[in-house]
Amino acid sequence: MQKKVPWFSHLPQYEREASLSAQLAERTDNDIHPEVLKLGLKLADWLIVGGNARTEAMLKAFSKVIMDYNPPKDHETGADMSRHLDTRLKPMISYLVACRPLCIGMGNAIRWLKGKIAHLPPTLSLDDAKQHLHEQMEGYVTEKIVFADRIISKHAAAKINNNDVILVYARSMAVEAAILRAHKEGTTFRVIVVDSRPKMEGKQLLDRVSAAGVACTYIMINSLSFVMKEVTKVFLGASAMLANGNVISRVGTASVAMMARQYKVPVLVCCETYKFSEKVMLDSICNNELGDPDELVASNNTLADWRDVKDMKLLNLVYDLTPAESLTLVITELGYLPPSSVPVVIREYRKEVTL
Amino acid sequence: MAEEAEVVRNFKEWMEKNEKGAIAVAAIHALTTMIKNSGASTIMELEILLKAAQEQLQEMKFEGQRSKVIQLTAACELFARHVTRTALDIGDFEACKQRLIERGMRFAEQADVSRAVIAENARPFIRDGMAILVHGYSNVVCGCLQHAAKSGVRFKVIVTQGQPECVGFKTASTLQEAGIPVDMILDTAVGYVIQEVDMVLTGAAGVCESGGIINKIGTFQVAAIAKEAKKPFCVASESYKFCRLYPLSPTDLPDAEKEPTPRVEQGIKIRQPPSDFTPPSHITLLLTDIGVLTPSAVSDELIKLYY
Repeated sequence: MQKKVPWFSHLPQYEREASLSAQLAERTDNDIHPEVLKLGLKLADWLIVGGNARTEAMLKAFSKVIMDYNPPKDHETGADMSRHLDTRLKPMISYLVACRPLCIGMGNAIRWLKGKIAHLPPTLSLDDAKQHLHEQMEGYVTEKIVFADRIISKHAAAKINNNDVILVYARSMAVEAAILRAHKEGTTFRVIVVDSRPKMEGKQLLDRVSAAGVACTYIMINSLSFVMKEVTKVFLGASAMLANGNVISRVGTASVAMMARQYKVPVLVCCETYKFSEKVMLDSICNNELGDPDELVASNNTLADWRDVKDMKLLNLVYDLTPAESLTLVITELGYLPPSSVPVVIREYRKEVTL
Repeated sequence: MAEEAEVVRNFKEWMEKNEKGAIAVAAIHALTTMIKNSGASTIMELEILLKAAQEQLQEMKFEGQRSKVIQLTAACELFARHVTRTALDIGDFEACKQRLIERGMRFAEQADVSRAVIAENARPFIRDGMAILVHGYSNVVCGCLQHAAKSGVRFKVIVTQGQPECVGFKTASTLQEAGIPVDMILDTAVGYVIQEVDMVLTGAAGVCESGGIINKIGTFQVAAIAKEAKKPFCVASESYKFCRLYPLSPTDLPDAEKEPTPRVEQGIKIRQPPSDFTPPSHITLLLTDIGVLTPSAVSDELIKLYY
């Protein structure tokens, strides 16, 4: 049992060993495809990290599930498939959720996939229907993630000018691509990578960016106010953008954005539109993910026996919420948008999904 | 080459004929005429021609005037978008071309109508006894004020000089002819008079995606003072001036709007930026022909238009 932090007791607690092995032992009906099993374990171990990588891996696994799908005897047409396949996917999705809560982008992709399954043309044969879904899913990844990132990096690089000092936090694929692109285009600028415990994801970004020859400074989030004076732009990644313009991102992002706001430095968020959500959140308490509390224990093991100390709890939050007021601009594959335009994009682009 | 140059000639002819005409109308007129006279037989050809024409128009120099690139680009992009849309709706090229020419010709009328619509939309915001501060010269702003005066509202206008071109004098005389009492102040006196002002009204060279505006130099200063004094800052603008730009700071402008190289007089370096960017946080409302909008609604309209 995990020691619960009262304010966050409503969230699924981080109990990796218990939940996963127990779940697997209980399942005798063999209803989870090995690809999904493998993916779930990787997700739980944080071997696949980042919204884009997780969504892509999930769609790939589901694509295998669909290709290997064999309907029961009396369900052999495409029309039956659209009804039956959905029930097949359900336990796999809940297994993935048990491994690690899904991010908004994954949720959106699942909803989209369910819509595609429900609206399969009834005239298709089983094989054609499988092929059709497979192509659709590949298309989703290329269009919404791969191409989207390419366009975002182009737009973002266009906002990096000579002599800029760019501040980035943790690791975002889109931000990394933008920095590399701007550097390749010959813009001379400096990057300050801000990082934080316990994940230290900024190091990976630092590795990639400095290897390309970009001048970098690496600091911890506690020295943020010290460097903010010289920063000209802040680039952030996002796990999701909500309908009220708020951003869900790696914990610490909100502090960075608010500090930038304080110093009147423009804050730019790079986010693919498939991560846009019609949900509204006002704080990062109602909905969040709890990470492994033991990650917080210092490497010199100062806190190693924290479980034995009465009333001592450790809280390792994964995400936080950045209010729309501290953002200047959202860069999407559709171009530059103010954060207030998230609902417009959802309204104009997801008409077919909400039907 | 002849055809490309023709675009510019048509544009200039139209501007000469219509003294109060808008840049966008002239541009659309020139582009429509180009389509009419072109021998293009596919949409692709047409799009290539349009692109070349756009570049030609953007390179145009306006002597003694501020650059018109933002308005020109907005108009050209709007037209190009319209061509793509029409081409998708109508498969047949000739029918499509015909429709484009028809719509292009009607654009001038619509532009006139849109000024009247803006004036009507702005009417309720101008009330008896108000003092309105105007910066720069704008046909739309003058139209709004004239319309309000004509419908019997009694108000006074404070006009800034509008250095360095001193366009304030043009605004002042236009308004005075319409029987509106006008005071002229120095550009530097805005802070002095702001307490007696009830509303600030300006035009815009371009309305950006964020809802901020690019306008005559000094607009940002006026907006900052108005915000400090908690006075509403309204912008009157046609919706065809909405453009797909997203400046991050007052200096983050398209190249053509950027500061020219400083001239040196008596050993003193003189900088004269022609335009500045006023961020959306300083703008209360935009009075447009598609309604009275908050700054964030501009992006909504652009998204609807361009996707």
